[in-house]
Amino acid sequence: MSTLTQPSALRTTGKYAAIGFYLLFALFPIYWLVKIALTPDALIYSEGTRMIPSALTLENFAAVLQSDFLSYFANSLVVSLGAAAGTTLVAAGAGYCFSRFRFAGKKVIIALLLITQMFPLLMIIAPIYKIVASLGLLNSLVSLIVVYTAFNIPFATFLMQSFFDGIPEDLEEAAMMDGCTRFQALRKVVFPLTLPGLGATLGFVFTAAWSELLFALMLISKNDTMTFPVGLLTFVSKFSVDWGQMMAAGTLALIPSCLFFIFIQRYLVQGLTSGAVKG
Amino acid sequence: MKPIALPTALTAALMASGAYAETRLKLVEVITSPERTQVLQELVDEYEAANEGVEVEIVSLPWGQAFEKLATMVAGGDIPDVVEMPERWLSLYAGADKLVNLEEHIAGWEHGDTLSDKTMDMARYAGGEAHMLPYGFYLRAMFYNKKLLDEAGVDAPPKTMEEFRQAAAAVSALDGKSGYCLRGGPGGLNAWVMMAAAMNGTNEFFTEDGQSRINEPGSVEGLQFLIDMYQDGNAPRDSVNWGFNEIVAGFYSGTCAFLDQDPDALIAVAERMPAEDFAVIPMPVGPSGKAFPTMGFVGWSIFNSTEHEDEAFDLVAHLSSPEANATWTKRVGVIPIHEGADEDPHFKTEQFAGWFETMESADYVPTIMPSYLEQFGYFADSIALDSSQEALLGQRSAQEIADEWAGFLTEQYAEWKSEQ
Amino acid sequence: MTSLTDTVVPGKPWARRSFYLSYMVEPYLYIGPALVLIGAVILFPLIFGISYSFQSIALLKPFDTGWVGFENYIDLWTDAKFWRAIENTAWWTFGSLAFQFSLGLGLALILNTAFPGKRLFQALVFLPWAVPTFLTALTFAWLFNPVIGPFPHWLAALGILDEPYNILGDPSLAMWGPILANIWFGVPFFAITLLAALQSIPGELYEAAEMDGASDWQCFAKITLPYLAPMITITVMLRTIWIANFADMIYVMTGGGPAGSTEILSSYVFTTAFRKLDFGYASAIAVALLFILLIYALILLVVRQKLVKV
Repeated sequence: MSTLTQPSALRTTGKYAAIGFYLLFALFPIYWLVKIALTPDALIYSEGTRMIPSALTLENFAAVLQSDFLSYFANSLVVSLGAAAGTTLVAAGAGYCFSRFRFAGKKVIIALLLITQMFPLLMIIAPIYKIVASLGLLNSLVSLIVVYTAFNIPFATFLMQSFFDGIPEDLEEAAMMDGCTRFQALRKVVFPLTLPGLGATLGFVFTAAWSELLFALMLISKNDTMTFPVGLLTFVSKFSVDWGQMMAAGTLALIPSCLFFIFIQRYLVQGLTSGAVKG
Repeated sequence: MKPIALPTALTAALMASGAYAETRLKLVEVITSPERTQVLQELVDEYEAANEGVEVEIVSLPWGQAFEKLATMVAGGDIPDVVEMPERWLSLYAGADKLVNLEEHIAGWEHGDTLSDKTMDMARYAGGEAHMLPYGFYLRAMFYNKKLLDEAGVDAPPKTMEEFRQAAAAVSALDGKSGYCLRGGPGGLNAWVMMAAAMNGTNEFFTEDGQSRINEPGSVEGLQFLIDMYQDGNAPRDSVNWGFNEIVAGFYSGTCAFLDQDPDALIAVAERMPAEDFAVIPMPVGPSGKAFPTMGFVGWSIFNSTEHEDEAFDLVAHLSSPEANATWTKRVGVIPIHEGADEDPHFKTEQFAGWFETMESADYVPTIMPSYLEQFGYFADSIALDSSQEALLGQRSAQEIADEWAGFLTEQYAEWKSEQ
Repeated sequence: MTSLTDTVVPGKPWARRSFYLSYMVEPYLYIGPALVLIGAVILFPLIFGISYSFQSIALLKPFDTGWVGFENYIDLWTDAKFWRAIENTAWWTFGSLAFQFSLGLGLALILNTAFPGKRLFQALVFLPWAVPTFLTALTFAWLFNPVIGPFPHWLAALGILDEPYNILGDPSLAMWGPILANIWFGVPFFAITLLAALQSIPGELYEAAEMDGASDWQCFAKITLPYLAPMITITVMLRTIWIANFADMIYVMTGGGPAGSTEILSSYVFTTAFRKLDFGYASAIAVALLFILLIYALILLVVRQKLVKV
């Protein structure tokens, strides 16, 4: 905050204590998840509360990798990347629109976008199912991509609007004065500057699509197009839950999502900062 | 050149790939586990080998969400040909006229006459006509942990309800251990029904005039038995919310000593507990000297929207033939459907003894839940669940919940009767 | 494309060139795809969904439907479970929100300072948001189970519990399990957005305040908070709405039990729709939730207007 006074020793200790706390708080459950994945079946219950299991094993991971899991993983990748790309593109347009234009109906549209967040998506599952079924798109990854894109547009638009707010309008206007259409100006001048923002939105939507369960469960019944959240549920059988394997699958599933998010979180903060002033 | 080459190449590719089958059947399994899917696939492969031109696609639904998933599929028009049908759902789908009547098919089937009597009774359970071909039975028996009983000083496994209560109390006195793996959460209705029936001396759900018997004094005593079991500390404190996985895990982790379950739990338990540590006995008897273990069944049904009814039945028949059924039932842990199948050495082990004694002796009367009532599933999964938890937690009394159940069931029975 | 005006305004010729185009049509070109997608995938089905609430629908008997007017709503009004679900939703939402927000704000304040290893710390501490929520729920359910998790033992050691047991089975405490999982999940959201807002506050303001002898608290209250206010309003509103609708964790950790003590409105919608197979009633509950959230949003926006004026 200020650079004029030196912080007291108490404050520094306090700050580092807080840092330690947050780190522990954030990482402990993830550690536990990985720990279970690495614990041999026989020890999962008997050594349940130990911090570090007495024996480690990779057999859970091996079992998961040999099952259909890789195909579920691949399907999830396709769907999440597709949804992320689609949403970012559409939301960029929408966000730009909100940032630059004032027009009749703007408030109504914003209200509508907000309303889409206000009810449990469960409520529209039956109508969506019927529509998708009648289009013959059941069991297709495309249907999931379209549905996820639509769900994420409102928040992604909010993000993109913030990012665009941080880029001064003069740039496009200068370009337009030189004879470009607005769209050309957008492409040539503004676009390069919004790359962080685009990256951030991509990451955010990817994370959201990656873990979506309900619609994946309902719209897809064929094994070869299942996404991994549904695949994880197959470890919960009527007989027992294969905890070790389930958590191993979960750990593997964490990787893309966490990596992606680690990569883009800086851009999220950066992008939102410039737009945050306008609120 | 191009326009001709392309379609030709395409056709050649299609024929070469062999993926083009004349008939495609969709088989949905709902009680899914990796092992079951594997066995099922093996049986289906045999079928496909014997039937050129028929291809079967297996769709595996995760059990926890299978009910809603299947319901959504059916309501949305994505209807399979053959489905694994638990008895609980049978009346729902049969009642909605979605299933093929299999009577004629079974009559014309070569293995139809080796089916045990019970099997055909089960098949006709909803609506009096066979809308499914059962592949096996579940029957309740009591698992118990030999080691814990020894530690607690209990000499012999309990035969009566009172002995059971005492044994559970003795084990609960041990540090960190509990007597009974109570299923207070989803799916626990069976225990309540069994205890009520045992104390009431009868497994009839309704009197002749259609009145539910669940709130008769004897039945209420049975409900109270379980409530006391929990409130006296003879079941683990969080068992009020325990579902199937938790009770089985509680048993094989040695947390609680008694578990009432079906043969399929044996698979999970046997994998994780050495055989000398546990055994299975019939359910404890009530004051009348009888016990009423619940019996369930699962089988194969054919949806009447299928375009290949004969092939679908052939598939079902193949899966239900004596050899296939023997393989299947051993691997999934149910009691087989053909007469004499229980002579198989697999079923003669000590672990299976509990179930076979149950079936042989007249003291144990298998009881089927009234799943022919349309809203029975909702009763079991929602009404009974919430109210029984409230009773366990002391928020309501046994008589109160019994009266609520009686009211609902009597109503349902009247509706059902009027549709007969 | 005719231009309505041809006047040349110095400095912004293009912007005025075609008033019609830029005011009426051009925006819709940009927002068109979004509108089409949302309309087709969400709003259109939503209308159907709302219409179900006025019908009686049994999932497996699609021909058994009939318009019943407000009957579902009347049943709702007298349904004790509904009111309890509203109460639980309030606990769930505000319990989660209060802690997420404060912890998130604290984290943002820390990240706004400098310290060694900050970049790594920042990346790690935002991870919870990237974990799929049902995995989070499963892990926390695991953590709360005394046989296999440490939490009950820690709680007992701290004296909060008299003995280690699973709070998820205790109707008076069960809700805190999913709430804790939700807090863990939601802190990064607030941390990111509030950090962004914090970073946009000009540093000179703090320096000037310090020179005038302002205390930490005064800096925070008079400079930080007002600058954060717009971002706070939006994120709190959005997050509240999301949390109220978010039943995954409750469903996985407690299933709405025991005895309905953790059943919130959106999980009640699920049980009604998929266990009782009564889509009409389920839709009525969902509409009630939508209505409640609409009112909440409106109140928040009005409050914000008032604050901005001040």
